[in-house]
Formats: sequence, C-alpha cells, structure tokens
Amino acid sequence: MTKKLILAIAFLYSGYLAAQIKVNMVLSGRPPASLTEWANRKDVLTFIMGESGGQRFDVKLKTEIKTLDGTVVGATNLNTARPFSPLPAGSTILGALDVLPLENIVFTGKYLSAMQKTGKLPADNYMLCVQLLRVPDYAPASDPVCKNFYLTAYQLPILMIPANEQELNAKVAQTAITFRWTPVVPASSTPVTYHLQVFEILENQKDVQALRSNQPLLDKNIIGATQFIWQPQLGMLAYRNEKDSLTTLQEKESDGNVKGKKFVWTIQTLDNSGQPLNPAEGNGESRSEPHVFYVK
Amino acid sequence: MIRKKNVAICLLMISSMATAQMDDKKFSVSGTMGVTYEGYGLTRNPAGWTGYTPRRPWNQVRFSFMPNFQFGKDFSLPFNINLAALPTNFAGPYSGFIPGGPKQSFKQWITNPVNSIAVNPKYKWGELQLGTQYLKYSELSTGDIGIFGAGFDLRPKTYRIKFFTGTSQPGINYYTGPPLITGAFKRNNWMFQIGREREGKYEVAFNFAKGKDFINSSAPPPLSIKPQEGFIASLVTNVFFDKGWYLKLEGAQSTFTKDLTTPTTLLIKSFEPFIKSHTSTTRDYAGTGSIGKKGKNFDLGLSTKYLGAGFQTAGYPYLQPDRLDYTLNTKWNTWKDKSDNYRMNIVASLGQRVNNISNTTLSAKQLIGNLNWFTQFNDQWSLNVNYNNFGFQSASGLNPYGIKNVSNDLGFSPTYSWSNSKMMNMLSFSYNYSKYDERDVLTGLTTSNNTHTALLTYVPTYFTKELTPDFSVMYFYNDVPLAKTTLVTISSGLGMPVAKKKLQLRGQLQYNLVKLNAFKNDNNLIASCSVDWKISKQFSWNTYLSTNYFKYGNAILPIGANYLETTCRTGFRYKFDTKKK
Repeated sequence: MTKKLILAIAFLYSGYLAAQIKVNMVLSGRPPASLTEWANRKDVLTFIMGESGGQRFDVKLKTEIKTLDGTVVGATNLNTARPFSPLPAGSTILGALDVLPLENIVFTGKYLSAMQKTGKLPADNYMLCVQLLRVPDYAPASDPVCKNFYLTAYQLPILMIPANEQELNAKVAQTAITFRWTPVVPASSTPVTYHLQVFEILENQKDVQALRSNQPLLDKNIIGATQFIWQPQLGMLAYRNEKDSLTTLQEKESDGNVKGKKFVWTIQTLDNSGQPLNPAEGNGESRSEPHVFYVK
Repeated sequence: MIRKKNVAICLLMISSMATAQMDDKKFSVSGTMGVTYEGYGLTRNPAGWTGYTPRRPWNQVRFSFMPNFQFGKDFSLPFNINLAALPTNFAGPYSGFIPGGPKQSFKQWITNPVNSIAVNPKYKWGELQLGTQYLKYSELSTGDIGIFGAGFDLRPKTYRIKFFTGTSQPGINYYTGPPLITGAFKRNNWMFQIGREREGKYEVAFNFAKGKDFINSSAPPPLSIKPQEGFIASLVTNVFFDKGWYLKLEGAQSTFTKDLTTPTTLLIKSFEPFIKSHTSTTRDYAGTGSIGKKGKNFDLGLSTKYLGAGFQTAGYPYLQPDRLDYTLNTKWNTWKDKSDNYRMNIVASLGQRVNNISNTTLSAKQLIGNLNWFTQFNDQWSLNVNYNNFGFQSASGLNPYGIKNVSNDLGFSPTYSWSNSKMMNMLSFSYNYSKYDERDVLTGLTTSNNTHTALLTYVPTYFTKELTPDFSVMYFYNDVPLAKTTLVTISSGLGMPVAKKKLQLRGQLQYNLVKLNAFKNDNNLIASCSVDWKISKQFSWNTYLSTNYFKYGNAILPIGANYLETTCRTGFRYKFDTKKK
C-alpha cells in the first residue's frame, strides 16, 4: 500500500516537473532610468519562456523589483496581470512591456512616491525577478530567474558661463568668448558629445524663438570636454547709444538705451551614436536650458 | 466648423468695436515697416576643403510691418507681422526646413517660429489676441513658446481674465533627408488665467495651461520623440509693500505624460477632466519665492526656486527640473563725493544650486558667487573689480571618483581719464585671470585650465570734431594640458557723421593672431562698416558690411587653408505716425 502511494506521488511529481517551464532572461546592466522607456528599447529586456512540454495551460508572470538586500520595491498585481499561454512546443519571447507592465506593478513606500513623481526609482542597484505561475491556482510553473541592474538617470549639463543675461565686453568678445558647462552626471561609460550652438537673437525675436528659427553662428561638437573658446570673427561694432537708432541688430532696454547684440546658447548632449542622450526626458532633444548673453 | 465660428465672432467683435469708435473721428496710425536683405558669402581655399562651414543663410529677406491703428481714445488695432522669405531652422522640430530641403506646408509656414503674424485689437480694458502670440503668464506655467491661435486678455478694474488657445506645433513628418527632419506631433495648447491685480500693489492669479500632442498627426512619425500631454495649475501671489519691500510667491503642480502611447493606469492619480494618467505620467510640484527690498541706493533680496524632478510644463519646453536654487543678491551705492554722487557701487550674489532632490540620479551641488565692485576714486581714476565662482560637485556612482569642476574668475579694470580744452582721453586696462579645474572620474587627477586676458583700450573724444575713434590691444592666453593657445588682437574703430549728420558712418578694422602650441600662426583680418542714412525723419536706410579673412598656419591640413567670409545686411525702415503730421 505504501509502495503504491509512493509510486503515485512520484508519478504525479514527475508530471508536475514535466510541466515546469524553462525560462531565461537577458537584462541590460544599466537600463534607462525611466521605467516606461524600457518598453521602447528592445535591447533592454528579453524574457524567453520555454515550451510547456505538450501541455496546455495559462501562466501569469510574477515580476518583482527588489533591492540587493531582498526588500521588494514593486511587484505584479496578479489579479489584474495578463495571462500568457506557453507554446506546447517552442519558445515564446517576451519584452519589457510584457514582463514589466507598469499599469500592473504595485510599488511601495518611498519607491511609490518616486515613481509617481518622476517615473523613476531612486538611483541604486536593484534586482529584477520573474517567475511563471499557473492560472488559476498560482502554483509555480517555473523557477524564478533574477538579474541585477543599476539605475540612475542622466542629468544634462547646466550652462555656467556666460551666465544668463551676462553682459560681455565687446572688445574682449570680438576676440574670444569662453563657454563652460557642467558635465553629464553620472559620467557616461562612453564619451558623450556636447553639441554647442550659439544663435544671434534678431530684432523682434524672443529668445527661444531665435533658437528655433535661426541658423547657428556656432555649431560645434565637443567630445568629453566642458569648455570651448570661441573666436567669433564677427566684427562686433560698437553700437550708438541713441534712442532713435535704426540699426536693425540692436536690443534696447525699456528706457531706450542700447543693451548690445544679444545671443542665446545651448548644449545638446549626444551619446556615442550621435543620438540625444535623454530622449525620454523633457523636450526629447536633450537640450539644456538655454542662456542669453549680451555683447556691448 | 468651430474654428470658422470663432473667426466670425472675432471679426464681428472687431468690426463692432471699430464702428463704435469711428464716431470720435480721432483716427491715427503709427508704427514701423521695413524690409531687410541679408547676403552671405564664403570662399574656401584650396578648392574642395570643407573645414569651415557656412554660418548664415546665403540670402535672406525679412519683412516687418508693425502699424498701430488708433480709433479714438479707447480702441486700438496693433499688428505685428514679421516674415522671412526663407526658412532657416536648424534646431528643434522645424530643422530641415532650409533652402534645398523639403517644402513646408502653409500650416507649417504660418506656425514656423521664423514667422509671426499677429493682431491684438484692444478696446478699453479688453484685448483680443489673434495670430502668433508669445504669452508669459508666470515663471512656472507658460511663457517660452509661440502659439498660433486666438484668445483674450480682459482687465476690468482690478480683475484679470486671460485665455488663449491654438497650435504651437503642426504635425511634421519624419524625413530621412538629407536634410534630416526629426519630425513632430501636432501640439495644441490652451492657457487660462484668472486673478486680481493692482499695479505696484499686489497680484494674485490662478494659471492653468495645457498642451497635448496628436498621435496620428505625422506620418511617418518622429523616431525618437514621443507624443506628450501636460497640464499645469499654478497660483501666483505678488505683494509690494511700502519703502520698496516686496514678496513674490508662486506654487505649481504639473501632471505630464511623457508618452501618450503607454497604457492608461489608475495607479497614478489623474487630474480629470484635464488630463488622464498613463504609466508614463509624472506628477510633481514646483515653487518660486523671493523677498527683499528695492531702494534707490540699496537692494537686498533672497530668492529661491524649487523644481521637482517630475515637474514639466509644455509652456517651458527647455526647463531643467529636479533642482533647488537659493540666492542672496545685493546692490549697494556708497561713498558720496562733493556733488552728492555715489563713488562706489557694489553688486554681489551668493547662492547654491542643489540638483537631484529626487535622488533619481547622483547628487550634485553647484556653488554660484559673483561680485562686481566699482569705485570712482576721483575725476581721473576708477577701478572695477569682479569675481565669479562656479563650483560643481557630484557623487561618484560607479566611477572611482566623483565629478568636481570649479571655475574661478578674477578681474581688475582700472581706467584713467584726462582732458584739455580740445579733447577728453580715456585709457582703460583690464586683466582677467580664469582658472577652471576638472577632476577625472577614473584617475582622480585634476587638470587645470588657466586663462589670462589683458585688454588695453584708448578712446579719445574731441570737443570740436565729430570723429569718434577708439584703439585697443588684447592678449589672451589659455593653457590646458597638451594645448596652449595665444590670441593677440589689435583693433581700431572710427565713427563720424557726414552730410549734416544725415549719414552716420562707422568702421572697424581688427587683426587677430592665433597661435596653438608650436604650430605656425593663424592670421585673421576683419573689416566691418555700417552706414546709417537718415533720408528723412521717417525714412532711413541702414547698411552693414563685414568681411573676414582667416588663414591657417600649419595647425590643420591642408597647410595654408584659408577662407573669406562676407556679410552684407541692408534695409529700409519707415517710421510713421499720422499724429505728428
């Protein structure tokens, strides 16, 4: 009797084992900081769900994001998660949109607050664990597979000098204007390119309007460095300080005094393939907040 | 259909307001109109060398027409029309609409920031806003973008009611080029303000602004840019007290969806009916505040700005969030002379910027300090001292060392003036030392970037002649590891009126010598002149000509490469005012 029972249990267990699905996951060690951006990049996450061994059943993906000490930061709400049907023979390949469906991931504590405010988790090392669970009893259908990753957002350069609204001496500026900006934080593993552009603001133009509509007087790619000395070669004539002056290049203050030629400058940060470093953020062009300066 | 109705209503309102005022028969027109031609030429040698690229459009014509029709005392009809014959967009979604590229549609032309057509009929306290408007409601809500549409600005008594809606961006298809067009989704915006204001006393206003992209508005759509939607609500409170004291506050909350194609979610609170949350939606706060005192000879102010990491607004597309700035500013006049004029003026500011309040990136701090100290010792001598410091530091992350960049600039400018019965002379010298230290995140080694700048200027002013010459010599030396750059500039300018002061001539000649390490010198000669001819009181012709010849030494290949760049800008402007006739 005992033998029969043991045999029956062994048979059932072997059947269960046969139904265990082999899974594998490839995850970038440094994925985009914005979690919604994972779905837009095919190179970030690939999850391979093996065959079901001839059986037909549905599974749900139990996804957990943990800190390295094992604290669960966010996990799938299994009740609302989408079911998948493993192929009886053959693998199924899933992407970030399936593995990390943000509309079904419940974050906790400070991580919830960070996600709601920024769409990102605090900069740190994390672990992504995925396991298949059978529907409807949520019995494990695979071993969990875990991968570590490091999250941090890129902070675009902040323009330093010329400072916003700074007035430069025309006699100095006609020879050289020094531009400085802060580097991308954190330092990128591959050199970034800082695309420095300077636009003249013409009469009747607003600052950002000039940036969007004029041909740049300086259009320079600078790799790695955070300073550039520009020799404008513009022949900056001193302007007449006259209320009725009709020179078309002048920017006047409200009292009629001439403030000098006006320029707007910005930095666009590009990755090593020439694409904007932070396409998911802000204006999508990875352009830093522009500054204006005067030459008088 | 709705748009047609709106246009009809606007026209009806304008015509009724105009008719109401025609009875006064006090009609006048004032303003300016003009046309300007800009020509650019570039000749590079040897033939086929492309080491220097053109930096202006070859040809451009700009038109401006800005009349203000005044009907009686209360009704005015100002137009603001500025057009360019050729598109010259190089940054942003319009980039690629340059001569030789694909042509833009009428909608793209009229909303292209290079053009603006606007009319703002105003009757007493009511103003209609039609066409392209750059409206600034507040520091945090909206202010940087031009929108083509319609709206109003009503100011009955102390009330303020403003509304505007339109398109800030038409759909632009992605185009592989050349030239590449990044493309854009069509974006519609609206903004609304309600509040009360007494100029110089107080201002309280609620601002609401929204921008939304249309997903199917471009085909093929942009590759890297996602359709977005953003809504912002802010409250502005400004109070001005007696004796120059003021308090300015603004608090704002933004709800911004970075990608409208992401699924909707209930996990992030929506701001319905204005905006519904998606998984890419962020919701965050921002605030600005300043308190201080403004006086004739003494200003003191403390200002702060906080922008949460998820704070984003369609009205300021280049705003960099996730930071806290606080700055102490002062301006001070002191040390009176015998005539009770102040001899000393001090302008200073000290502040700090903390980036990454959210901790989603590495923490970074930036110290900002400026000082400008001017002293007029006597009739002959004056001295200006300026000091600027910018420091930037961040944690190391995965690198062995953190980022640390420190920039220090110190400058002295003594000026000596003397005069006799015929002329006054001014001799000015300025020296500036700039040190910029950067730490390598892998080795921890700091490299110093040192710059010395010296400038000597002499300006004689004749009491009996109309000539206004000036002379200057400048020396610039920059030293970084592996690169030592020396620039020497000699320049002279001369201005004079001729033809009974109807013609104002001004010219300048500038020679630059550039030396990099041990390479042979580069030589650069720039000549420019301007001719301003006041043909009549109303009509003028202004011309500016410039030529720039640059010859490289042997620092680049091919040896002896050179270019000649010419710029010509000439334009007519007519100022009119029927009241003055």
